[in-house]
Amino acid sequence: MKYVIVGNSYAGLSCADAIRRFDKSGEVVIISDENYRAYARPLISYYLEGKTTDETIWYKEDDYYEKNNFDLMLGKKVVSVDTNAKRVVLEDGSAVNYDKLFVGPGGTPFIPPTEGFNPDSPMMGTFTRFDDAKKMEKAAKMSKRKEAIVVGGGLIGLKASEGLRALGLHTTIVELLPRVLGLALDEISGNITSKKLNENGIDTATGETVTKINLDESGNPVSVLLKSGKELPADIVVVGVGVRPNVGFLEGSGVKIDRGIIVDKTMMTSVKDVYAGGDAVVIYDVINKRPNIIAIVPLACEEGRVAGTNMAGVYREYPGGMGLNSVEIYGLPIVTIGLTNPSNETQSVFIFQDDNIYRKLVFDGEVLVGAILLGDISGSGILSAIIRQGLKCLKYKDEFLNGNIYSFVIDNEFEIYNINEGYAIRGDFEDLPEFSRTNWR
Amino acid sequence: MSKKLTNLEEDLKKNQIEIMLYPSKCDGCESEGFAACVKACESHMSEKYGSKYAGARINIKKKGNKFFPLICHNCDEAPCVDACMPGARYKDLESGWTVTNYKKCVGCWMCVMSCPFGAIERIGKDHFASKCDGCSDEDTPKCVEACKKGALKRIGIKNYSYERRLSVAKKIYGPYIKSISKQY
Repeated sequence: MKYVIVGNSYAGLSCADAIRRFDKSGEVVIISDENYRAYARPLISYYLEGKTTDETIWYKEDDYYEKNNFDLMLGKKVVSVDTNAKRVVLEDGSAVNYDKLFVGPGGTPFIPPTEGFNPDSPMMGTFTRFDDAKKMEKAAKMSKRKEAIVVGGGLIGLKASEGLRALGLHTTIVELLPRVLGLALDEISGNITSKKLNENGIDTATGETVTKINLDESGNPVSVLLKSGKELPADIVVVGVGVRPNVGFLEGSGVKIDRGIIVDKTMMTSVKDVYAGGDAVVIYDVINKRPNIIAIVPLACEEGRVAGTNMAGVYREYPGGMGLNSVEIYGLPIVTIGLTNPSNETQSVFIFQDDNIYRKLVFDGEVLVGAILLGDISGSGILSAIIRQGLKCLKYKDEFLNGNIYSFVIDNEFEIYNINEGYAIRGDFEDLPEFSRTNWR
Repeated sequence: MSKKLTNLEEDLKKNQIEIMLYPSKCDGCESEGFAACVKACESHMSEKYGSKYAGARINIKKKGNKFFPLICHNCDEAPCVDACMPGARYKDLESGWTVTNYKKCVGCWMCVMSCPFGAIERIGKDHFASKCDGCSDEDTPKCVEACKKGALKRIGIKNYSYERRLSVAKKIYGPYIKSISKQY
């Protein structure tokens, strides 16, 4: 059996691990278009800050590929997949045959049409790859006036600006929505976050877009023109608006695509023996109860594992996931889980706020469907488990708001033990696939 | 107190030892002024990881007169491993325990957000997520050694599963089980 995995990141490696768990001898080929072995992609901003170095950014240990007997093909871009002949075609014209294929292509940065944007300039770019971080590190050294503009106030934009700020640049975030992290945070928490950013030398221009980038004769940025007519100086322009599923290479392969790759419960695409996972697939969103693209690390790992298990011949279903994220901005931890901005009237909102702490709970009837925690995030995992399982816990709302999230654990010892039932095995858990904790994920 | 289903020494050789919790026996060591397990863990961790990554990995949470010793439950497919962006947390295949390479931890708090037991703590000052590593390199975990109340016990895997089933059964069918035992 020959398994081919396109994409050498969270979903792909999780898939490879799952295959190896059940198939010790099968050939596994991992193809990546980058020239690095797997690295911690979201950590490229920490790389700029110096919290992660060239030694610690690698996702797996050094001998990971050899130890697990994975063939790694670096710097090979897959241009198309021939699902009839069962092979993937690489950019250099060669082809790799497969018995089972997994695609975890992730996303490509989306660049809104902006006059003057020139990705070839050493002072301009996107921010999703290790090369991008290295480029920005060089650009920061070359920058004369130490002025940077980051387009997009989402997670990518926020972390990019934090990284650039750590390199000594005065950074301005330009965000279309009325607040930073606009999709996850609400008005109050957005304002707290903005304040924190402003205190640390990052300006936020919300409700704004960049309409034009003024260039000098060599194609590097000089200033940007905003929608409101303001002109801001810029040595560096980073576009971090978001990513779109990188599915161009699947054209003509017969794999059904609707925004992202459509998969069934076993993570198989519409074509037999082709599986998919990660930021490019459409999965069931358990909170919004509809298919959705949720591009976060934990779900990529889960999807990859379910796909890999099925590829190795052990049936397993994926029940769907939910959006949740965690980030720290200058010592302010932020956790957002599930539905944070209620969309209809049956949902009720409860808020607790004091100087440093903000908590928001969104209930749909008696069921907790979303939460925002700022400042104090201890026990937030319990909330994510509750939200994902859809437990009724309205009577705990006051305790949750006051930060006593653990009281739920203590009262519901049994529930917690039930979640725990059957997997807490130290030692040879390898040969017990049925002991996996399927009841909450 | 429990039936001997397996030999503890044999299980220890096979690395099939678990920490069993009996939360109802925990009284938080309130009369002593400090929790024995927390103190034992604290000193062991500073010995093992040095001053930067010190701090107790076990926590006693209180509600009214109920106490709950909170440690890592060592999930099979651990959500904290899935969520860990830098790859700092991993499954040690030799000991079967979920452990952390703190040098890689950058403090993104993805694991804190994912742990369904709330067993991972954010250490904001030193910027790392601290989690119990099960003392897999010790014969007896230090917290178990320190606990004199019987709330933490080191038992073999078969006894562990037996005890677990019993405690769950008692929760659901508690009165029923009692009535049966009266008959005999």
